[in-house]
Amino acid sequence: MKFSHWLIALAAVLTGVALGLFYGWVVQPVQYVDVTPGILRADYRADYILMVAEAHQQEQNAEMSARRLAALGSEAPAEMVAWAVEYAAQNGFSAAEMALLRGLLNAMQTYQPQGGGAP
Amino acid sequence: MMKNALLILLALALGFAGGLAYAWLLAPVEYVDASPALLRADFKDQYRIVIAASYAASHDLARARARLSLLSASPLDDLNAQAQRMVGAPDAAQNLQLLAQLATDLQNGAVSALPGAASTVTPSPAIVESALPEETPRSVFITEAPTAEFIQTPFAFSAFTLTPAMPTATAPSARPFVLIGQEEVCNSSLPPGLLQFNLVDARRAGIPGVEITVTSIEGEEILFTGFKPEVGAGYADFIMKENVSYSARVGAGGAFISNLSAPACNGFLGGLALAFQQR
Repeated sequence: MKFSHWLIALAAVLTGVALGLFYGWVVQPVQYVDVTPGILRADYRADYILMVAEAHQQEQNAEMSARRLAALGSEAPAEMVAWAVEYAAQNGFSAAEMALLRGLLNAMQTYQPQGGGAP
Repeated sequence: MMKNALLILLALALGFAGGLAYAWLLAPVEYVDASPALLRADFKDQYRIVIAASYAASHDLARARARLSLLSASPLDDLNAQAQRMVGAPDAAQNLQLLAQLATDLQNGAVSALPGAASTVTPSPAIVESALPEETPRSVFITEAPTAEFIQTPFAFSAFTLTPAMPTATAPSARPFVLIGQEEVCNSSLPPGLLQFNLVDARRAGIPGVEITVTSIEGEEILFTGFKPEVGAGYADFIMKENVSYSARVGAGGAFISNLSAPACNGFLGGLALAFQQR
């Protein structure tokens, strides 16, 4: 086999790889289903935390709120809420919503998990 | 010449397969901005519970509906399906009540009295009187197939005067229920042995989210009102077996009715309709 033939074969392989990558990443990327809340878009994540804050205002149950926040990932609940407060401040959340988030943040900062039952 | 073309094609195919394997298996596209619709079923359930809990606090029905629509195109069906899955699960009672309340309000398109809210709200009697006109008694039991029409008279929660600092009212679900009516239903087009419950408050408005425990020698089953809002907010039903005696307890510490059994009608198994009112 001539050197030029090897070059042509190599070029064909590389072209194939490029086409395969384009197809696999752009044309037909892996479809995700059954994802975890950890990869929710920031606005959905913030809204979820806001919902927990709204519920917390009425229930005043830090254990329950921490358990709900745990669905978002392994971060400490206070860190999640602190992120949400920051996000809310940057994205024009209302004063009432900010107050709810701060209330939840206070609760999570002082929250102590009970005997391993809570996350 | 032909051989060369085949070799090139083979090389191209090998490269394509390698590229695809890398793109799909080794380094697939990573999702970082997923929408709630992509969540796993159990996380969607959790999401719905948080929406319902948030709704119980905010009473913002439009927002709850918008949030639910992020999860699926048929939020009401999904709420009901989730409730069915949760019945019998440990510590599910509170969440079921929240889901039932939200399902009922979505169906009716109006915010109703929320059990959780009522415990911290002292409505002004004068305002309540004007906001809640006396309703005429009505039956919400199913007596004709497929279902009887149920007309809910919604009222605006915002008509209440909120004074959270003086929690004096008792939550509706905490007050006892008493049996005010019991009748046999002989209708061959209804499911045989249908045991129907209709729970109303003092003004005869249906109360969703109330736990009903039905017991027989075969075991115990827990129902909640409000999961068939098309029939009535305070409606729940159960299928009795022939020749089995049942007892039912409505609400916590409420009415206890025993010796309930499906009546024999003209050649088919009939049902019972029980009406309870909160005192």
